[in-house]
Amino acid sequence: MALKVLAVDDSKTIRMIVKKAFKTYDCEVIEAENGKEGLETASKEKPDLIVLDITMPVMSGPEMLEELMKDPDLKEIPVIMLTAESGKENVVQILKMGVKDYMVKPFKGEQLIERVTKIITLESKQSEDQDTSKKYFSIVEDIQILTLPQKLDRPISVEIERHFRAKVEEMVNSGIKKFILDMNKVGGTNVTLIKLIITVIQTCQQANIGIRIVGTSGLSDELKGFAETSEITVDLSIEDAKGAF
Amino acid sequence: MSDINTVDLRGFVSGAMDEVFDTMLSMNIELADDGVQADVGGERIVGSVGFAGKAVGSVSIHVNEDFARSISAAMLGMEEDEIDGDEDVLDVIGELSNMVGGDLKSRLCDEGLSCDLSIPFITRGSDFRTETKGWERHESLVFRYQEQFALVDVYVKTNG
Repeated sequence: MALKVLAVDDSKTIRMIVKKAFKTYDCEVIEAENGKEGLETASKEKPDLIVLDITMPVMSGPEMLEELMKDPDLKEIPVIMLTAESGKENVVQILKMGVKDYMVKPFKGEQLIERVTKIITLESKQSEDQDTSKKYFSIVEDIQILTLPQKLDRPISVEIERHFRAKVEEMVNSGIKKFILDMNKVGGTNVTLIKLIITVIQTCQQANIGIRIVGTSGLSDELKGFAETSEITVDLSIEDAKGAF
Repeated sequence: MSDINTVDLRGFVSGAMDEVFDTMLSMNIELADDGVQADVGGERIVGSVGFAGKAVGSVSIHVNEDFARSISAAMLGMEEDEIDGDEDVLDVIGELSNMVGGDLKSRLCDEGLSCDLSIPFITRGSDFRTETKGWERHESLVFRYQEQFALVDVYVKTNG
């Protein structure tokens, strides 16, 4: 059964960052905009963990925590406090409140997950994970092929990069030495695509894996317009790429 | 308690901006300490937080709309054209000022100048002309990221 995480923050930005951090785990992230709303949601949903901001209008994090502690049904729910203030005085105050842990903003999603895993056990959405991997990766003969989608935005790029790193590890272990990055479906270039191409090329080179890039002539011309990809040779078909290895 | 006039405000703000932009946005900003005038340009979005206690003041981050959208996209892990309307952009700039202000507040507290932080607020407009009086310190820092600029204004005085 999916774990429930309650994110209480008046900033939609922070709630989105928290939600994204848990995206690959079997977790449902519920949101509340202030302590009052957070308390109501906690009573109704009985979350497994609360990620709680300190400074909020209507009811602050410490005020909500105080109410939580008074409620026998809610007082055992672990709380991670979010704070923009890293000063000693503030940290001591937070720890005195009885929270399990705290995070100082700015923080990365993975840093939050690292803290969370010390408190609750998170499980990856494995079956879904494997399915998304199959969307982009395939093996033909002794070649690993990554087929990029028509539109590559940042979340998809992050997902592909995660799968890619796992695939490279598998390739090294199984002795596969050829990789094709197939961009024939890609509709146009953007910074996210360029960054991904560079990452793929550099990672393959570091792992001693031969790499060929496949794409349309239009895409090839567009790549020449970016300093980072201007020197890349693009094959027009998978067959051409295979022949070039 | 430290003297507000000897506190390294510029260092505090510069360190906070570096950390926030690097951690949350993967952007390496540079302090433009070569006398460059901030060319924020166009319509500005200004995220601010106030603090009050032994030290009283505010931190404001000025960026133009284009840079605000780039910052928002980076913070939310989206492409710029995926951001719906202004609400998300304003929230991100507010959160940015909260993080930078929060860090500065912590440094002031560590110097014995304890204070509390307000929730962030946003001002939007163009042709900004500000005149301020009664502050003991005013620092204005310009940061550069590629062709874009962010201007950070800090006003501080001691209370009592």
